[in-house]
Amino acid sequence: MQPEGKSALSQNLSVYTIPNRKKNKLWRRMIRNWELYLFIAPAFLYFLIFHYGPMYGIQIAFKNFIPTLGVTGSPWVGFDHFIRFFNSYYFWDLLWNTLSISLYELAIGFPLPIILALAFNEVKDSFFKRTVQTVTYAPHFISVVVMSGMIITFLSPSSGMIVNLVEALGFQAPQFLTDPAWFKTVYVLSGVWQSAGWGTIIYLAALSGVDPQLHEAAVVDGASRFKRILHINIPAIIPTITILLILNMGSILGVGFEKILLLQNPLNMGSSDVISTFVYRSGLVDAQYSFSTAVGLFNSVVNAILLITVNQIARRTSENSLW
Amino acid sequence: MSTAVKESRSDKVFLWCNYIYLTIALVIVLYPLLYIISASISDPKFVSSGEMWLLPKGITFEGYARVFENTNIWIGYKNTIIYTVLGTLVNLMVTLPAAYALSRSDFAGRGFFMAMFMVTMFFSGGLVPSYLLVKDLGMVNSIWALILPGAASIWNIIVCRTFFQSTIPKELQEAAHIDGCTNTRLFIRIVLPLSMPIIAVMALFYGVGHWNSYFSAMIYLNDSSKYPLQLFLRQILVLQEMAAQGGGAIDTSSATAMNSKAEIAALVKYAVIIVSTLPVIAIYPFLQRYFVQGVMIGSVKG
Amino acid sequence: MKKLRKASSIVLCLTLSAALLAACGSNEDGGSATSNVEGVKKEGFPIVDKPLTLKVMSQDAGVADWNTMPVLQEMEKLSGIKLEYQLSPIDSFETKKNLVFASGDLPDMFYAADLKPAEQVTYGTQGILIPLEKYIDEGYAPNIKKILDENPDVRKSFTTPDGHMYALPFIDTAAVWYRGPMWYNGEFLKALNVEEPKTTEELYTYLKRVKEEDPNGNGQQDEIPLTSVKLDDLRMYFFGFWGMYNEGIYADKDGKVHYPYQEEGYKGYLTFMNRLWKEDLLDHETFSQTGDQKKAKGESNKLALFNDYHPYFTLGGEPSTKHPLMTPVKSEIADSPVYGKHPGISARGTFAITSSNPSPEATMRWIDYMYSYDGATLFNQGPEGLLWKFKDKENLVKEWLPVPGGGDREEYRGKITPNYGILTPGINDPDIAKGLRTEFDEWLDQQNQEKLVPIGKSPFPNVYLTNEEQSEATALLSDLDTYVKQMEAKFVTGQEPLENWDKYIAQIKKMGSDRIVELYQGAYDRWNTGQ
Repeated sequence: MQPEGKSALSQNLSVYTIPNRKKNKLWRRMIRNWELYLFIAPAFLYFLIFHYGPMYGIQIAFKNFIPTLGVTGSPWVGFDHFIRFFNSYYFWDLLWNTLSISLYELAIGFPLPIILALAFNEVKDSFFKRTVQTVTYAPHFISVVVMSGMIITFLSPSSGMIVNLVEALGFQAPQFLTDPAWFKTVYVLSGVWQSAGWGTIIYLAALSGVDPQLHEAAVVDGASRFKRILHINIPAIIPTITILLILNMGSILGVGFEKILLLQNPLNMGSSDVISTFVYRSGLVDAQYSFSTAVGLFNSVVNAILLITVNQIARRTSENSLW
Repeated sequence: MSTAVKESRSDKVFLWCNYIYLTIALVIVLYPLLYIISASISDPKFVSSGEMWLLPKGITFEGYARVFENTNIWIGYKNTIIYTVLGTLVNLMVTLPAAYALSRSDFAGRGFFMAMFMVTMFFSGGLVPSYLLVKDLGMVNSIWALILPGAASIWNIIVCRTFFQSTIPKELQEAAHIDGCTNTRLFIRIVLPLSMPIIAVMALFYGVGHWNSYFSAMIYLNDSSKYPLQLFLRQILVLQEMAAQGGGAIDTSSATAMNSKAEIAALVKYAVIIVSTLPVIAIYPFLQRYFVQGVMIGSVKG
Repeated sequence: MKKLRKASSIVLCLTLSAALLAACGSNEDGGSATSNVEGVKKEGFPIVDKPLTLKVMSQDAGVADWNTMPVLQEMEKLSGIKLEYQLSPIDSFETKKNLVFASGDLPDMFYAADLKPAEQVTYGTQGILIPLEKYIDEGYAPNIKKILDENPDVRKSFTTPDGHMYALPFIDTAAVWYRGPMWYNGEFLKALNVEEPKTTEELYTYLKRVKEEDPNGNGQQDEIPLTSVKLDDLRMYFFGFWGMYNEGIYADKDGKVHYPYQEEGYKGYLTFMNRLWKEDLLDHETFSQTGDQKKAKGESNKLALFNDYHPYFTLGGEPSTKHPLMTPVKSEIADSPVYGKHPGISARGTFAITSSNPSPEATMRWIDYMYSYDGATLFNQGPEGLLWKFKDKENLVKEWLPVPGGGDREEYRGKITPNYGILTPGINDPDIAKGLRTEFDEWLDQQNQEKLVPIGKSPFPNVYLTNEEQSEATALLSDLDTYVKQMEAKFVTGQEPLENWDKYIAQIKKMGSDRIVELYQGAYDRWNTGQ
């Protein structure tokens, strides 16, 4: 059942709010809910030890890290690594490619699992439903190496089956693999193919929390399926959608390098080189921990700013936000 | 799930469109999967040249034979199953309570904890400090190095929290409090049973994460008897990349060896995928029943 | 840091006590098995009187358990030194090595160490890796000493600017190839009744004929005269046609250092390749295909000219001598063609001893064995009687035995020796393969001697840059290499017209190509006048 409004809630809260000074109220709340602190303790300890513990390592973004000298013993170089990165001939291209690939992925890859989940939800035939679901979520498991190999095979100008299909339909097949204009589309669409099915899982879980009586009532009122989806199912998963959207915005500069590296070639590089592949190549010449940490730090800061911004927007416009 | 009410015409049309849409999705996704299955039993020559495009050509089971005669594969399977089960259990025990606590609006300090957790999403110390930490904790070359450093994912905690917030009604919790129910009993007896869908999802996400992981194992494990499946599979495949690079003084016999290794890798590539992912894919149908709408809601009324 | 000091003080103590004991110990000269008072013999086996266990860290191809390998068991029996293994898969070795350095948990020695010059300098100067020349010159490595004395270039290439050797190379004085060479499809040559082209013009004419005259005789114009994977496989070989020894920094015969991507020869290369592209003589899938796809084309007999280690890898079938090695062709550049020949030593260090090693002398003797005929034989071919035996012991002629259990010899070899799939210390002495070489091997040698060795020169020695130089070079090269690679593709495919050559040159000079030359020229001069 959806929490209707806040009014009912605040009425009931009066059961255990004490009309005293605020501090007293806070203290009482903490004591009353002491078990919740126990609940959160494992996670708290975990993050403290395994994430905050090693966090001093971030300094190497400002140092020239030599493994045997350790993090504290390595010499400071200030912002040298950042300057080197910003001054790179390719800095703006890398930034642009990374951002545009991410946003493109988001624009196509975000709505699709939602639509797919809603569609699955309407199917009553259990066998069909299970089959389609299992099939669509299988591609998630294909390793990136094999995936890239398949893409190259399917789009190969001389023998690729997609190319053959396009030409059979009477069109001139474009150079999918080497034309920079096509790279992002190939990358994004193959990514969506691979991850859409898997992405439905979380929405299906959220949809399963919808009270079927709401649907029955709506049917009695004469609402069509489509209307029911619009007014019952979708609002049910809006919190999930919002949260996932915010989280995705928070990893916008994080385009992974393995798949791009495998699909990249000198002809499409103008469109395919992203921050992570550039750093990976620099890292090959010299185990450049410091440089990659510095660039990683830059990415993190930008991502964090984006996340906070989007979260604020969400807070103003809806009830759902990360905090 | 009663649909005793008769479907109107527009609904029928809608349903048909739905089915068509899903069938198209099925075909689009299915074709490449069939390709992989066929490729795993075809002669690599036909696969690379593009001659094999749907049905297997030059049928050979050599790929599978090679994968299975490698005794390491079985060790890998055993290890991976242990790591996955144990790891997922730890994950659930850390994530679910924390997410529940965070979902309670009367939990004092939830903003503080959220912020503290979220910072770790962006800033991390890097490989070397993490390794040193694991080493100092004496966990190098042990199973715990694969489980504890990944005990929780902030992403999953947030998703879980969102689920609790939007699905477990506040009235229920308040009613329980009035009845004198402690938080722990509330959580275990009431909240968890209502949350089977999200538990299933978390188990799936974390479980698959463990199943596919290789990096931690690569860094922290020294004993090949402890390697998970993915690590062994990578070893088989990596030799193909090596052969492509060349360079250095290599005599004929080594070159021949690398070449035949490359050919084997090409052969084995697809079989490896099937071998490593079939078990996981097979599990899904069993979990699917938790994703049926309204299956848990009835109990709220009770 | 603390561990470092601790380790150094241990070494110090050992050295001091050794010196003391040596002063009190007997001082025999002459006599064969003189024992150093530490219990390490300078000659003969076993190496140590008291059992010694050493920790060794190495890469591992993952084929078999090192504890059960016959080669290593034999070595242990011989030397009296037991080994504990710390192994890592090949693709994670680099990371694991860095973690080992960072955590201070050092092994006693690194095997198949893959140590870059920069790493040798960094860790050597910090004392993590110990200088080796001392032990070599004191007689604990007679085989290595002999090789170094006979080949002073090797010592020069592995001595860091501070005068020490921290790592040992793999030495192969007979090596010719840096990577796989180019091969002609012999059947096509025969079908068109053509001798091997000698100049770039002749090459062009031949490739054009291949395209038009259907040499594979199937009635279809499906021949692909020249193919490549992203040009990476043929670039170095082709650069030779225009007088450039390497696809990176190289030094010419007069000791002048060049960055090939701004040379006149490079323009010639681009012009020629563009011409081939325009007329569809260079595979238009060059930039997008994988090695597998190229191989498939070879096996369908569509290729006339291609790159690989051995021609039958691409063309399929058994080793045969009917596909000739491509004779480098002459271009319009004076002093062409040339060939960048393998320098005979590995670029990276394959072996090093760490500061935590309790007995560098014993370790030195242990590794020295691999630089001898017997050791190289053991580690490459296995113990006698397993895969091979002597046909004529006096003249050191061997022959292969049937593989135990049937199956592929090379696969079996991978189970008995660690030297499989990884670059290990040692030598490749032509003598150890006497009697085991196939007709094909002999023919390869003859082709090399005829076509490559006369014009061959090692492109660039192992030089050491200082840390500042290295950082500067790395920063410049990462942008330069990206730009050069993209422009190469654009020039070759015609997306960028060759008339823009001057603009291209201006751009790479702006990006620091001259500075790169300067940096490496300095390092080269230092090397040349070096120890």
